Amino acid sequence: MMRKVKTTFFVLVFVLVGGLLHYVLPQHDIVRITSTEVIRTDFSAINRLFYAQADSGSAELGTRDLRLIYTEKKRTFLLGFIARDARQVMVYRNEDTGWIWPPYFKFDSSDLQAQAAAVSTSDGENWAVMTHYGWRNKYLSIYPNAIGIRAVDGPDVQIIPWFNIFFFIFAVVAFFFLRAMWRQFLERAVDPAVQSMGERVDAVGDAVSEKHGRLRRWLDTWRK
Amino acid sequence: MGLIRLVFFGFLVLSVTYFLISVYSRSVRREKLEYRWGEENPDSKDQAAREAFIEQGMHEYNTGIRPRLILLVYVVPTIIVAAIHVLTTY
Repeated sequence: MMRKVKTTFFVLVFVLVGGLLHYVLPQHDIVRITSTEVIRTDFSAINRLFYAQADSGSAELGTRDLRLIYTEKKRTFLLGFIARDARQVMVYRNEDTGWIWPPYFKFDSSDLQAQAAAVSTSDGENWAVMTHYGWRNKYLSIYPNAIGIRAVDGPDVQIIPWFNIFFFIFAVVAFFFLRAMWRQFLERAVDPAVQSMGERVDAVGDAVSEKHGRLRRWLDTWRK
Repeated sequence: MGLIRLVFFGFLVLSVTYFLISVYSRSVRREKLEYRWGEENPDSKDQAAREAFIEQGMHEYNTGIRPRLILLVYVVPTIIVAAIHVLTTY
């Protein structure tokens, strides 16, 4: 029973943390930018969470215009690790994240939109590497947020996710550091205190275990 | 307004981190000194000398460069935030 609870707990934590990281960490798509557009958006209580705020210098209202970038992206397997030939359309929003969340400190949405428009109207096939975070969900009407656009000559680009590499190295180091801190705390602060208390507890211990035994026997009567 | 909020909460979080790391670092140093005393004077029962040795070592630690290095906890995230901002905006 205890093990099932534990397993469930860890699976839940893994899914939640994994989901959060998948949403927030930057990803790179190889796309063909086809056009750009602005639509008016009325947020609902459900999808408000998946949008950033108004441009950093502007007032926040319930309704505002939203910049969109229309693309055709190359599909991949395994979060972009395995390239494929298949393509699919993808729509990105383009919003300032400002000083808040997620911490991209992006203020140049208009410039990014101009850049997207420039790529989409250039000669050739308009290939670009789109850096973004977030999810596309048709039922919630949410879009990944574009962070950066880099025009490239063709779809065969090797992308190395430097930020994510350093992020995960840092996460592992931080985990072991925290664990070392916690163990040091237990060893130096908690154990000595418990030990000195132990002698006093021992005296009371017998009485408690006697009582505990009786409680236990009473509880076990329910089983029969 | 957003910047003020970021600085305020960032300072709070980093201060907690700074505090935890300094306590940890001092604790590790004290433990090392205790071990070294035990190795160098395996049969000593002189508690006062042991105490003095450890306090001396802690004084050297406190006036050394290492506690100052922990201030990097404030510097490094500031640089990272600035770098991310510059990389996404320019």
